[in-house]
Amino acid sequence: MVKTASVTDKPIQIKIFPQRLLQPQTAEKLLNEIDQVKGVIRMLIGGKNLPRKVTCGPGTGSEVNHPNMEVIHVGDCAFELHVMVGEIIVEVEDENSKEELRKACERALPFSFEFKQGFFIKTKATLVDYGKYGFKSKTDESINLEDERILGLIDPHAKAKNNLCVVSSGEEK
Amino acid sequence: MAYKPQYYPGNTSVAKNRRKHMSDDVEKLRDISDEDLTALLGHRAPGSDYPSTHPPLAEIGEPACPVREVVEPTPGAAAGDRIRYAQFSDSMYNAPSVPYWRSYHAAINFRGVDPGTLSGRQVNEMRERDMEEYTKRQAETEITDWGLAGLRGCTVHGHSLRLQEDGTMFDMLDRRRLEGGVIVSDKDQVGVPIDRKVNLGKPMSEAEAAKRTTFYRVDNVSFRSDKEVVEHVQKVWELRTKYGFVPKA
Repeated sequence: MVKTASVTDKPIQIKIFPQRLLQPQTAEKLLNEIDQVKGVIRMLIGGKNLPRKVTCGPGTGSEVNHPNMEVIHVGDCAFELHVMVGEIIVEVEDENSKEELRKACERALPFSFEFKQGFFIKTKATLVDYGKYGFKSKTDESINLEDERILGLIDPHAKAKNNLCVVSSGEEK
Repeated sequence: MAYKPQYYPGNTSVAKNRRKHMSDDVEKLRDISDEDLTALLGHRAPGSDYPSTHPPLAEIGEPACPVREVVEPTPGAAAGDRIRYAQFSDSMYNAPSVPYWRSYHAAINFRGVDPGTLSGRQVNEMRERDMEEYTKRQAETEITDWGLAGLRGCTVHGHSLRLQEDGTMFDMLDRRRLEGGVIVSDKDQVGVPIDRKVNLGKPMSEAEAAKRTTFYRVDNVSFRSDKEVVEHVQKVWELRTKYGFVPKA
């Protein structure tokens, strides 16, 4: 059993919180810079919702056509932004990637940002995850997922197709 | 000597701006035509007549009443206009007006107003033509910076959010945006597209917004730095607390 706090081989999570809400171009640049950092396991993009239609008031149902709802390219993936990016949570393999990640943010962001380490995305399956994915088999009670990295990345009720994007690394290509 | 109201204590720029807003001693910064404003409000088609909710007061034949004789009805009330609203959202990042100061400005300088003040937005209900006059005053003067404020009948989200990269307040419904250095709007206050692109003028620079704001902020003019205001606020709190016990009851 490890008794010291300095466990170096455990993934760590970083929240990047820029001073301003990001335009799609800046978000794209930042995500690509982060994608280049060695040791990035997963990223979670958060921000302010951009609805397709007006959802309340006398204008309910009108098209919004928000100009920031753009398709951006990260690595070999293209996806449409549904939010105005306000924060990015990144999980990296160990402490060694942290400084590289900070430098990537400094390169991409033209303004200051908060860079906080903490626990932001769950790493273990919870009851709702078991409710959604189930057990592997009658004898194996581990969660029925090929890749457990998606845990905590999407809402249990959301469809993975529109909310999840798998970016392959250079070696995998 | 004529009485001059003293609206608000303090010597900082924020306190002075608050006094300016309350006394309507505000600088006009831009022109917005009546038609454009009517389109932005979205209550009636620009150029159409004001729909009425009752006949004009002159035709009704009001009963003899000393109060009615003393109080002259506003133009909207006299014509029997509908009650309609205008709602503004203001960013906490040094927008020129605190929602409370929009209410003070409306209630002190206009008649027949029903202001509703919330943390990040302010709604004002009035007779339609009175409301348009009041909205025009707020929209054209330094009370509003269209980059840091917005006319938002619904989905007002933005007051407490970080600003966008271009320095404007987030608008989920994209009613107004920065285009070519000016703020333009092509939707009414509830997000329904309108048949025109209204030019709302240049947004204020960060320095100008900091100079004209009525928000106390630690990174600009902090509330605690204005001793007279702190003293005044403490006095008001003390008196209202004592009154809470209703000494005479």
